[in-house]
Amino acid sequence: MVLLICRDNSSLVIDRLCDEAGEENAVMCFYFDFAARNEQSPVNMLGSLLRQLVSELGGIPEAVVQDFRKQRKGIGGRGLQVAGILKMFQAITATKRMFICVDALDECVPEHRMVVLESLRQILQGSPGTRIFMTGRPQVRSEVEKRLDGAAVFISIQPTEDGVMGYLRDKLRNDTTPEIMSSALEAEIMKSLPEINSETYVGASAKEKLA
Amino acid sequence: MSQSFSNNNNSFNIGNTFNYTAPDDEAKILAWLSPVEPWVRHRDIGTDRVDGIGAWLLETREFRRWHDATREDESNHATLFCDGNPGVGKSYIM
Repeated sequence: MVLLICRDNSSLVIDRLCDEAGEENAVMCFYFDFAARNEQSPVNMLGSLLRQLVSELGGIPEAVVQDFRKQRKGIGGRGLQVAGILKMFQAITATKRMFICVDALDECVPEHRMVVLESLRQILQGSPGTRIFMTGRPQVRSEVEKRLDGAAVFISIQPTEDGVMGYLRDKLRNDTTPEIMSSALEAEIMKSLPEINSETYVGASAKEKLA
Repeated sequence: MSQSFSNNNNSFNIGNTFNYTAPDDEAKILAWLSPVEPWVRHRDIGTDRVDGIGAWLLETREFRRWHDATREDESNHATLFCDGNPGVGKSYIM
């Protein structure tokens, strides 16, 4: 079965993990988005990871089916809680090595972030082979360090010159209004934008400058 | 790289019990687990991504150690956190 997130083959770390996924790895991802904070509760986030893992197993594990049937007998609500999800994670035998990728941890609201990090710590504890890849702004770094008991390694992401040039070339190639672009202006863009001492090349500001 | 896990195949293999559910029940159970669908965002980011951006990350010592560690390793490198300011392209490296 092809993992849902592996179908598109257009990312970096997830692509690498998916290429090797096969029988050994289960790759799960989650993208935090401040605008979607109401629906991105810890239950929905962790439930989403569990859903992706379960989808990989070729059948719903008994532990999950039982919990589902129990809550159906209750009145109202989904009856799903963080502790229940973590128990299901534990009950599901990890015949596969889990890779959990989480984007923009800083966009998870602080009170949710605390629960999410503690839950990830428990998942790591219960399944020591698990690997977690996360991105976020530097200000959440110390929180990650503290909540994960120092089991984290950090890399600082900065735009490289190659990356900036590649991005600009791609944008110019796919310009939707090429008729108003002169070769002189194109040359000027390729020369001056990489020189700007900015850390926002890949994001909105470079797009704005090109617009 | 994938071979680095090959001698650890049995360490987790305790066996799952599966319950054979009707397909519509299966869909209901998956929806119950979470209504959020992160693969939509994943696809959107992929569409916008310039090929090769951030490939340097895969060659760093930190990434390799995180990725290659065997299950028996102490779990000090279990989490790799990439930090950067807004707009540097963090989502595009994931």
